[in-house]
Amino acid sequence: MLEFNKNDFKVFGEMAEEDLDARLRFVDFTPEDFTRLIEIKDEVLDHLDEHLAAFFEHLGRFEKARGLIGSVSLLQEATQLQREHLIAMVGGDYGIHYVAQQFQLGQIYNRAQLDMGLYMGAFHAMLSGIAQRISARFPGDSSVALAHYRSFKKVAFFDLAIVVDGIVADREQTIRRQQEAIRELSTPTLQVRERLLILPIIGLLDSHRAKQLTDTLLQAIRAHRAKVVVVDMTGVSTVDSKVANHLIQTVEAARLMGAAAIITGLSADVAQSLVTLGVDLGRLNTMGDLQGGIEKAEQLLGYAERSTERTGHLAD
Amino acid sequence: MSVPILKQGDVLIASVQAALTDHDLLQLKDEMAHKVGQFRTRGVIIDVTALDVMDSFATRTLRNLAATTHLRGAETIIVGIQPDVAVSLVQLGLTLEGVATALDLEEGLAWLAQPRAA
Amino acid sequence: MVTTEARVDIARDVDIVTARQHGRELAGRIGFTGSDPTLIATAISEVARNIIVYSGHGEIRLEMIAGAGRHGILVVASDNGPGIPNLDLAMRDGFSTGNSLGIGLPGARRLMDEFEILSEVGKGTTVTMRKWRR
Repeated sequence: MLEFNKNDFKVFGEMAEEDLDARLRFVDFTPEDFTRLIEIKDEVLDHLDEHLAAFFEHLGRFEKARGLIGSVSLLQEATQLQREHLIAMVGGDYGIHYVAQQFQLGQIYNRAQLDMGLYMGAFHAMLSGIAQRISARFPGDSSVALAHYRSFKKVAFFDLAIVVDGIVADREQTIRRQQEAIRELSTPTLQVRERLLILPIIGLLDSHRAKQLTDTLLQAIRAHRAKVVVVDMTGVSTVDSKVANHLIQTVEAARLMGAAAIITGLSADVAQSLVTLGVDLGRLNTMGDLQGGIEKAEQLLGYAERSTERTGHLAD
Repeated sequence: MSVPILKQGDVLIASVQAALTDHDLLQLKDEMAHKVGQFRTRGVIIDVTALDVMDSFATRTLRNLAATTHLRGAETIIVGIQPDVAVSLVQLGLTLEGVATALDLEEGLAWLAQPRAA
Repeated sequence: MVTTEARVDIARDVDIVTARQHGRELAGRIGFTGSDPTLIATAISEVARNIIVYSGHGEIRLEMIAGAGRHGILVVASDNGPGIPNLDLAMRDGFSTGNSLGIGLPGARRLMDEFEILSEVGKGTTVTMRKWRR
């Protein structure tokens, strides 16, 4: 029984939800194919080592397979699993376990950073050997041999689709993670004074990034115990209503955490957009530029320390 | 499971736990109302640091708690709202308006310590 | 194999906590990050309470779902209670019949991506919500 770790499951899940039956239909797999596979299964099973050798020896000829061939553990894992899978290819059961097994194989090759083109070449080398064996089984009757080989090829292409989908899904996940990291980097918070944070926003602000900003800011408030945050929007050229709402929500969420937010650097265009969008600017504490914002912030902080008459909550 | 209430001078402090049921919250509200009068309390701190979800019921109950203690002469401040919870409150449209909030226990005590205009 | 579904019987207020804890956990496993698990747990809390307040007994079903290359969570809150006579009114922010702010259902809708409610007087109510991972 194959066990999946959490990360595998997410990628596999994105594939496995696809109708398994649909995958078989895509390669036109019929009951006749099933019968033919049973007829030639010995051509595969009796020569397992030969077929596996064709696959791995092909890989061994190329530098690009170093990641797999050079790793004892990966190679061992791959060999074992490829052998089991080859047996399963003529087994007739192409359900979830079969797919999972092929998926896992694909992930091993992915981990070894095996070039896809090279993988295809090796796979083809293995198929060629199997074709020869099938041919030898039906001497003098090439059309029958071809029909049987075609049935086997359908399963082979079924497999290839799983490997490709798995690698694509995995790569997409990596790209998503990298994009996250880049976004994280582009929204740093700077602590200038005690209890004062500055969050400079640079570049294009979309709904997704704005949400990220909120999370970053709130986590920073907690980590630095900030009482005032200056959100500098000098680097932002346009905002839409979604982003404007995010901004308001960020300010309110910061208030719930006991921090006052000052927005600075709103350009004339952005300011006008906000007004047009009907954003309740009364709820925003704003200053023209970053310097003004910092001064205001210090005032707020100093006010809290020096005051003997408290008239209201700091964040109001 | 009831919420423990601690007394620190003329301040009462309650730290709520994550698995807080509706009954626990209502019980807290009642107990606070009584104790505030009992100890001539000046301030109440509700520490929600461990609370992983604050929904409309929790918000409503805490607002009622603050209103009740105010009537009995004590100011209430809620501290420790977590970032995720703050985001959900704002998205729900619950801003806890009228109730003071601060980052943590230390800030809450500092806020209560400041003299106020009556 | 990883579990992708959970059912919670809702009858007492402690069940609300159970339902939202399961929701948070499943959300995490599905891959929701940031404040999303909390938003989902909060929405579950709202609909679970709705069951108790207006019906007394019901069920919450949580399920991992997939579609168009992305994953998400499905929350179905159902009861065989008296039903909601005027859905439009109930879904309007601020409306309430019980001792509440009336923010439960509209609130839950704001936290999730998809929200459907079916209610028949005398038969019961079913709320279906979905949230998708970005």
